[in-house]
Amino acid sequence: MSTVAECVVAFIFGSVVGLLVQRSRFCNTAALRDAIMFKSYRNTKALLVAMMILTVAFTTFMTLGAGHPLEFDVGFNQFIGLFLFGVGMVLAGACTVSTWVKTGEGNLGALWALLFTFIGMFLFSVVWSWNYWPPAPASMTGEPNLAALQLGFANARTLQDKLGVPAVVFGLVQTAALFAIYRAIRRKEMAQHAKHERAAAEHRAAVADKPAAAPAAAGGPGVKVVAGGRR
Amino acid sequence: MEFFRKTLDPMVALAAIAILEIFLFLVIGAWTVGGGETMMTGLIAKAFLGDELERLPFWTLVFPVHGDYWKIYISLGMLFGAVVGAVASKEFYLRIPRRLSEWVLITLGGLLMGIGIRLAFVCNVSTFFGLTPEMNLGGYIAISGIVAGAWVGSLIYKRILEG
Repeated sequence: MSTVAECVVAFIFGSVVGLLVQRSRFCNTAALRDAIMFKSYRNTKALLVAMMILTVAFTTFMTLGAGHPLEFDVGFNQFIGLFLFGVGMVLAGACTVSTWVKTGEGNLGALWALLFTFIGMFLFSVVWSWNYWPPAPASMTGEPNLAALQLGFANARTLQDKLGVPAVVFGLVQTAALFAIYRAIRRKEMAQHAKHERAAAEHRAAVADKPAAAPAAAGGPGVKVVAGGRR
Repeated sequence: MEFFRKTLDPMVALAAIAILEIFLFLVIGAWTVGGGETMMTGLIAKAFLGDELERLPFWTLVFPVHGDYWKIYISLGMLFGAVVGAVASKEFYLRIPRRLSEWVLITLGGLLMGIGIRLAFVCNVSTFFGLTPEMNLGGYIAISGIVAGAWVGSLIYKRILEG
């Protein structure tokens, strides 16, 4: 595919994503932050569904040697980098996708976050040019390099090559694990819902009991007491 | 049009995005945002610094700057799609953070996101929608990092909210 065609395909994909994310209010930050802080899983479930679909599809195509999987060495820098990112996205209230989408809705805070993401990237490029860590792509070997805190490269395809088991089999195992998390969240939500229902029923019962009990105590007409209860 | 009047279920939206992304994976590669943002950073820096930028080896060894990098256009497309969605649903209006503390948090958050993406070579999108579905070892490392970071970030945020 030509470079221009790649850019056009990427733009069309991005446009549809931007539209769908804007209309659904999906946010990756909310998928993690809301689950941790508010025990609310609206975005978390959506994220899990997408990951299940992608795991089955990607590993199926990787079994056949199709597709363009990411290929680079990984290591300790992924943990520290995404840890910093995780703190940053909660503080900024937006992730990489929602900064673009919220900017598109006219949110100047999101545009400011985007600007400082660029500044952060540039600052990192200055530091990298001094310490050369993590290793540049050209010096990656795919093998562990413990001196540079690198574990090498491994994915479903390398598992297939080493173990002789189709990549999709591992993909199905991962999908089952993701589905188990999804089900656990659904159970938790149902338990929360049942608890709210019980609390609401108890509240309704308490309100219904009040008019009967209170007039006797007050010695006056029930209407006044009901109005007092509502306040 | 109904689509622009009601909020779409995020589960439906993400399932549709995932199906579209399968095609992107087959023709170019998985969805990512951080790479495009880095290239944009390089292009902006080059506009200001010119050839001086090449004195920083990062921009020759890791990210040689060029404008026809497809990942840039995913981000620009997202911006375009969001503008279309917001305007068509009459949800486009200027939103400006009011308190100074909000500006400080956004500034700090943006910086941490930028540094984090480059340090990890991946962003949250390539973690959840690329590396992990490919069962890349880096995906699992990155997920543990982002969950731990979101947890710490939430603690900080809670403390700030509680004053």
